[in-house]
Amino acid sequence: MDAKQRVLWRPSPRVQQLYEDHSKSSPAVGAERAIHYTDFYKQEAQGYGSASLLNAHCLAHHLSHRTIQIHPGELVVGSHTEHRIGAICHVERAGVAMLEDILSFEKRAVNPLRIRSEDKWKLVRSVIPYWLKRNLSARAFPLREQVGYLREQLGSAHFVINEAGGVAHFLPDYGELVRIGTEGIRRKLEKRWAGEDTNEEQREQLEANHVCVAALEHFADRYRAEAERLGRDDLVAVLRNVPRKPAANLHEALQLIWFFQLVIQIESIDQGISLGRIDQYLYELFCREKEQAGFDADHVRDLFAAFCIKLSEVIPLFSSRSTEYFAGLPNGQALTLGGVDGSGRDATNELSFLLLDVLEGFKTRQPNWHARISKSTDPAFAHRVVEVIAGGGGSPALYNDDVIMPAMARRGVDPAKVWNYATVGCVEPALSCESFTSSDAAIFNLAIGLEMLLGGGQRMQGTASRLRPWLDEIGCMDDLLHQLEEQTQGRLEKLKQALDAIETANADHFPTPFSSLTIGGCIESATDSTRGGAFFNASGIQAVGVADLANSLAVIQTLVFDTKQYTLEEIANACADDFDGQDLLHARARKITGFGNDNALVDELAGAVASLFDRCVSRYTNTRGGRWMPGYYSMTCHQGFGKKMAALPSGRLAGRPLADGLAPVDGTDLLGPTASLNSVASLDHEAFGNGINVNIKFDAQTVADAAGKASLEALVLGYFSQGGMQLQVNVLDPAVLEDAMRNPDEHRNLLVRISGYCAYFVDLTPSMQQELIDRTRQRTQ
Amino acid sequence: MTPTAPIFEIQRFSLHDGPGIRSLVFLKGCALHCPWCQNPESQASDPVVAFYRDRCKESFCCEEVCQDSAISRTGFRIDYERCSGCGDCVAACAYDALRRIGEVHTPELLMQKLLADRAYYQQSGGGVTFSGGEPLLHPLFLDRVLDLCARESIHTNLETSGTSSFERHEALLRKFDLIYFDLKILDPELHREHLGGGYDIIVHNAAWLAEGKYPVEFRLPLIPGYTDTEANIEHVIERLGRLGMNAIHLLAYHNMGETKIDIIQGKQPKLGLPRYSEELFEKTQRHFEERGIEVLNRH
Repeated sequence: MDAKQRVLWRPSPRVQQLYEDHSKSSPAVGAERAIHYTDFYKQEAQGYGSASLLNAHCLAHHLSHRTIQIHPGELVVGSHTEHRIGAICHVERAGVAMLEDILSFEKRAVNPLRIRSEDKWKLVRSVIPYWLKRNLSARAFPLREQVGYLREQLGSAHFVINEAGGVAHFLPDYGELVRIGTEGIRRKLEKRWAGEDTNEEQREQLEANHVCVAALEHFADRYRAEAERLGRDDLVAVLRNVPRKPAANLHEALQLIWFFQLVIQIESIDQGISLGRIDQYLYELFCREKEQAGFDADHVRDLFAAFCIKLSEVIPLFSSRSTEYFAGLPNGQALTLGGVDGSGRDATNELSFLLLDVLEGFKTRQPNWHARISKSTDPAFAHRVVEVIAGGGGSPALYNDDVIMPAMARRGVDPAKVWNYATVGCVEPALSCESFTSSDAAIFNLAIGLEMLLGGGQRMQGTASRLRPWLDEIGCMDDLLHQLEEQTQGRLEKLKQALDAIETANADHFPTPFSSLTIGGCIESATDSTRGGAFFNASGIQAVGVADLANSLAVIQTLVFDTKQYTLEEIANACADDFDGQDLLHARARKITGFGNDNALVDELAGAVASLFDRCVSRYTNTRGGRWMPGYYSMTCHQGFGKKMAALPSGRLAGRPLADGLAPVDGTDLLGPTASLNSVASLDHEAFGNGINVNIKFDAQTVADAAGKASLEALVLGYFSQGGMQLQVNVLDPAVLEDAMRNPDEHRNLLVRISGYCAYFVDLTPSMQQELIDRTRQRTQ
Repeated sequence: MTPTAPIFEIQRFSLHDGPGIRSLVFLKGCALHCPWCQNPESQASDPVVAFYRDRCKESFCCEEVCQDSAISRTGFRIDYERCSGCGDCVAACAYDALRRIGEVHTPELLMQKLLADRAYYQQSGGGVTFSGGEPLLHPLFLDRVLDLCARESIHTNLETSGTSSFERHEALLRKFDLIYFDLKILDPELHREHLGGGYDIIVHNAAWLAEGKYPVEFRLPLIPGYTDTEANIEHVIERLGRLGMNAIHLLAYHNMGETKIDIIQGKQPKLGLPRYSEELFEKTQRHFEERGIEVLNRH
């Protein structure tokens, strides 16, 4: 790879024009799916023997009626909604709840969405009323519980159940789909149909699968007809084969993948549908193409760039309240580069490098780029990855094979298969092709457990100083950790009940027979993915606030147990009062060394907190027979949860954000990035089966020259060599960020990485924007 | 007896004081008293308690624990006539308004701290840089630390003002992988006027290192009106020529050191100079380059 004389690759004028047109269209609410689904359900809900059949036919109805559009210059076709950039309202799932913004979508300050006025009134008059009593949460809970559930979910302090919007979050087996096309799927279905041991339910499932295949083919035919009408011979040639035949070239492969990606995201929630190891499963086609006369690598880059534009047309539908927890319009279409092969050797290839060129020269909101690094990785690849990161945009995020593969094996994945993991959604590792891990099932506020504990089982906000006899039993750190574990277990038990109810209702009423076609095991078992059809099942539960807890426990250890300067009751009362009139205590708390300073005491407390959560979570299995796994990432829930919370003994004041993912609390890691990463790496990352996010920020100046880039690379590899699992690096210029806050229109394309995903800076909530600026400044000084 | 040394700062993830990712160890004590000193708190050898007035909330927790009756409620907080430097007040202050400058370290304690970043030294080809103050004021301590570094294959770099007898430290100096030698004012009269004694030994040491084929690189701090004058730069170029050297590091002056004079009630007068500008730096850099001297890096 000619690393030395590289010039930044740029897409052709055609693709640049395509992107310009794309960027000009403002995001809108796509109501078509909600309207079609409602019409169909109203007329047909009783007419099918099973939920799978009903949903398959409903999807088919929508696909045969939805608007199709081919934009000038497009290389890959098929639109997420009837708008060019749009958000689908999955109205039968969490869509109704997200429509609480129906009257304010256009006017809201963060992530405004256009909505046609006729659509608005249709949604209000006929769609919402129909689904109020029939949507997923209505099916899951009796009415009285439902009200409380919804209130908690929309302004959550304890946990957010992402499965309330559907499960999603998996790796469709695109390698196989590209090889066999829908004709191959039909053959698989027929073979299974002919099998002897098939019961009624399984036959209905296979029939539903079959309806879905036909629906996709018909949908693609409509696109071919449209391409013919427009005289787009290039597209007609592609659509003559796609999706039925095995892909004959990369263009066909990307079109096929996009059709599946599109329909999967129409069928269930558009979250975490991930592309997997695309540089591996497309490599053979790439090599074949390369041997042909007239091969043009830039054309291949163009194709991928056009594909990235399609991925970026997908906008998730969040209400303003949900946006506090998921700012920046994340939808987690992860793409994995690099890694090892089945024999443990480096698997990076020419296509891996070519895709890095695309990322470097053409930054779009999606996909979510990830690179796998291990001890056997080609140093040129690691070097190139860091070079791309240094160019800004926060991508790709980095994953350490040497930790992730053993971590997966610990969670029951066949050790012979772990080499073929890819990332899902934000940061979650999962086995390619055959797993349904619901890796983002729920995000759990671990830190609030301490508030509840100090409050005697009650939230503390607004409570005045009082006697707290329940704290008398706590005489040492072990007592405190023991009680925290009980507290955590109790709250996880509530999460478990709610999640089970959601999962069951989802499987009973809204199975996903189309998505199931793409996950290994579902056809073989003739069972829907929502019912455990995949070969490997799991649920990922994320903890937020590990560093806040560690710092708080260090304060209690020092001021209460060691020096006995304060009683736990005094600390609790100060937290309840938001340290009002307690300046000295607040200063003493802030002075105690926090997580992120290479300090054994507090790092061990962080470890204790992380394993406490692991123990509590790992006791459970989900309704699909998979185990719960702990993850430690926060999306922007560290802000959402933090807003609801009282002060903590660490000195964090009421309403302030918690720490982002597994990183130290902002402003408390005082010894620079090596100390900070050492603390993070001191935890046992092989226990973190569902992934972590560690976000570090660099001022662009620091990594501008070759020496700076080399230092960044060494920092990453040094952290990985000590057992770090994941790292994402934002290279930012605080002055540019500030200007973007003042003049958003001039910085529409400024990408930054949040907890595990990329977002346009201007799409973030103002508080999240400020957090980024503050953190970058702090690193610079 | 184990040699010890007062260390007033260990700066980790340092990228500009030698190759790779480094830890910068600042040892306390210096023979020179340069008027532009960027670490005025480093000059005296003894540990000292510094006072940061802007952080003080006047809780006077310091007063409660002070056994020397050295806390004064008005004016500067610490009466250095009485203060024994024990640091009890530092621990008691919740607001970080007091800090002990110069914690005494054994070689083993320092090593333990330095090893925390070993993974990053290895990945980057980095290591440890000893700065100050003047590190060579602690030869026994350094000797032991260098042996420990060698045992762990950690690259070592010395930053020195060259004011002590190098012949005497020959064995020690041979242990460094790299030596940064700071040139300052090379006119003997002007040196004496601004820096006092030491001119002869500095010039002698520079020559001795070059002749002895030590891995030495020269540096010049650019202090407006002191070291960046046309005449001084000519002196430096001429000196480099005589030493057979054709490269130099230039260090741009920043005035952050002046705010640190007050924290120890220092007597060093403030120069009131601005931070060295990009334009000035480039002009000086061109001056060197036109005369065939390579400017190694920019700080």
